[in-house]
Amino acid sequence: MDGGLKGFFHKLSKQRTLVFMSVPFLIWLIIFKYLPLWGWSIAFQDYKPAKGMFEQTWVGLKHFKFLFQDEHFVRVMRNTLAMSFINLVLGFVTAITLAILLNELRKVAFKRVVQTISYLPHFISWVVASSIISTALSADGGIINDVLMWLGIIKEPILWLGEGKYFWGILGVSEVWKNVGWNTIIYLAAMTSIDPSQYEAAEIDGAGRFQRIWNITLPGIKSVVVILLIMNIGNLLETGFEPQYLLGNGMNVDYSENLDIFVLKYGIQMGNFSLSIAAGMFKTVVSFILLFTANHIAKRLGEDRLF
Amino acid sequence: MKKRRFWLSCLTIVMLASLLSACSGGKDNSKAGSNTSAGSGNGAQEEKLDKVTFTYFNAVAGKDINTNETTIGKIFEEQTGVNFKIEHLVGDENTKVGTFIASNSYPDVLVPGGSIDKLLSSGSFIPLNDLIDQYGPNIKRVYEPYYNLMKAEDGNIYFLPMSAVVGEYISAPNIEQGAFWIQRRVLKEAGYPKIKTFDDYLNLIRDYVKKHPGEDLTGYIALTTQDQFFALTNPPMHLAGYPNDGGVIIDMESHEANDYADDEITKRYLQELNKLNAEGLFDKSSFVDNRDQYLAKIASGKVLGFFDYRWQVGQAMNNLREAAQQTGNDDLEYMALPIVFDENTKDQYLDPPSFVNNRGVGISVSAKDPVRIIKYFDNLLTDENQILSNWGIEGETYSVDENGRFYRTEEQIKQTNAESFRESFGFKYFEYNWPRYGNGSSLPDGNSVGAGRQPEVAQMSYSDSDKKLLEAYGIKSFSQLFAAPDERPWYPAWSIQIEQGSPAQIFTQKKGDLQRKYFPKLVLANPAEFDKIWDEYVKEFNKLGVKDYEQLMTDEVAKKVDLVQGK
Repeated sequence: MDGGLKGFFHKLSKQRTLVFMSVPFLIWLIIFKYLPLWGWSIAFQDYKPAKGMFEQTWVGLKHFKFLFQDEHFVRVMRNTLAMSFINLVLGFVTAITLAILLNELRKVAFKRVVQTISYLPHFISWVVASSIISTALSADGGIINDVLMWLGIIKEPILWLGEGKYFWGILGVSEVWKNVGWNTIIYLAAMTSIDPSQYEAAEIDGAGRFQRIWNITLPGIKSVVVILLIMNIGNLLETGFEPQYLLGNGMNVDYSENLDIFVLKYGIQMGNFSLSIAAGMFKTVVSFILLFTANHIAKRLGEDRLF
Repeated sequence: MKKRRFWLSCLTIVMLASLLSACSGGKDNSKAGSNTSAGSGNGAQEEKLDKVTFTYFNAVAGKDINTNETTIGKIFEEQTGVNFKIEHLVGDENTKVGTFIASNSYPDVLVPGGSIDKLLSSGSFIPLNDLIDQYGPNIKRVYEPYYNLMKAEDGNIYFLPMSAVVGEYISAPNIEQGAFWIQRRVLKEAGYPKIKTFDDYLNLIRDYVKKHPGEDLTGYIALTTQDQFFALTNPPMHLAGYPNDGGVIIDMESHEANDYADDEITKRYLQELNKLNAEGLFDKSSFVDNRDQYLAKIASGKVLGFFDYRWQVGQAMNNLREAAQQTGNDDLEYMALPIVFDENTKDQYLDPPSFVNNRGVGISVSAKDPVRIIKYFDNLLTDENQILSNWGIEGETYSVDENGRFYRTEEQIKQTNAESFRESFGFKYFEYNWPRYGNGSSLPDGNSVGAGRQPEVAQMSYSDSDKKLLEAYGIKSFSQLFAAPDERPWYPAWSIQIEQGSPAQIFTQKKGDLQRKYFPKLVLANPAEFDKIWDEYVKEFNKLGVKDYEQLMTDEVAKKVDLVQGK
């Protein structure tokens, strides 16, 4: 550490080519990632698009107050968190299970077929998917009601989308149906990196199939799981918007309306961009806190972590 | 080593330069076309102008098309050298318009729906006053009587509404707006009774279902999707004998506005639906179905009755009509009835002659060449071109008899009703959504501008079974069953502009949310619990600040009445 500053400049001049090469990317980063932050000031104004930045009226925390004081807000937050949490848990459990099952398959052709079928729904847009879902759940002639009636489990068709309490479940299952195949890909990739000799050694030691899964496969993908978990926790407030909007209706609104829909209704649809920005800021701050917390916990537990 | 460093520096510079140029592009294109029209005088012998294409956004769903790909649009292009590339709405209107506003870049011409306030408050339209004075003699002729109603608070005209009536007013022979619809077979079986009250109407449905068990019939259905929820909330107003003023009823004498969402009439209407539901006659899926499912159900012919506006269910009704024409049996078609709560209430389903001043077509601030656009608009408003866009070409899509009356032969009616023909010929794109002679306008020679309102055409388009039905009721056209509209200078109150993000607007949004939640509950509840849920709803409703909203509407109605009466 002799002559810190001098040493720094010496090093800088030695690596100036590298520094120059990184300048464009630094500029890109500033323009596209930092300059837009200036737009956050809109949250503290009564923003009118026709006026210039300096002609706007400043209103302080008015929009934040509207957001947090609205009686819907608590409900909307509950729905957002609940649906995120359900998706997070279901998403992880189903994807990892399917990946393990696929990994155990020896017939390559069968494995390919299962994989292709399971990740095809990922490429259907939510608009189409929600149409399929609402048709399947329909009270007149929907397949779910028909099957349940045929099995004698229910006597009358159920209005699935008309009962708020079913909504989270329907959404969770829909998300799994749509994304499970896609989510397995990364775990399958992680599993291929496990040394096959470990399995052979375990087999010689007399480990059964479940023991091999428990003691070799799962620890082998642990680091991938932890990192994905941390990233997903950071995204907990981003439940997505389309399925809730498309499947939601007046009867299940108490359970289907999430933060994004609330912002759409009271922000964008009313031309109240300031409120939208305020909600966006709130989301960013919460995500930031969640991400750091998760990362910190992982660090404490001595696991791999994001940073 | 030197050489290598040189190339590296070059690389760096190139990358920097490309980055900067990428950020500054795309701003200077807007003025490109503006010189073409410079110095163009008036008079018919103008030098031939270059052909141009402008963009045109219409905030309804539809097929995107160039106007010059249609027969009518082609003729207009020959007259003016202007083609419009029409873009329709995909998804939600407010979101799309929000994007226009946020990016401050618009199509040249905009035809927004409810989002027009948003565009006005963000200064998206150019004022048209000077342009009209200079280049729009026809626009002036058509719209000048309505200038009072068209001017914004700053005295400028920002868009041209589509409801300026020219000439003598001709009322519609068929129901184009709201009504309670009933399947014709129900009326037939009951011996074509004269039905006036809601109770009679529902009893008719009950009887029919009772007599036809096992046919899987739906007694009553409702449309309740996000944007069309008014189809469920408006009927109480109509049943009480008022025309469609939106969420409020305006008193004829005092002109006071009353939000009827918590009134006895709304309760009564929902309670009737609740009873229907308990009897298994109401389609529960009404509250979860999307619009396509709703239309499919109506088109299937299983639904006996419903309330809606003709323009919302047109597609399904046209399908039923086509099927009826093929089979010669109109049992599954619908007839519109003017249903009210009480025998001695005068129904007001027909719109009073009105000027809707919050919908229209405007030129955006991004428009490349407003002068040519306004000239195109002006050109549309000649008698000849209004005939062209409503009647088409003589000998092809309409004929003229020896007295100069326009009519359509059976074949022409069939042709001009076909959706595919209306698209390729251009009726679909030019009958509405442009500056035009409003509904009910007539030509100097007495012919109706809209073909649908010409009595000859209406009579000719009635099928044999239509005629039988009309005869049974002793009327000549379907609207004769309805009472004539009273004069309401403020009409329609729903066209009153409410400021973006104002408490009144937040109130209407919250009211909508509340009703979307409670109305299904009320209709589907066990009848014994109806009153309890209703009280709960009213309690919630009263928290929203309805008094301020009503006051605002009362003030605005008064303002509009003054404007119309020229005070």
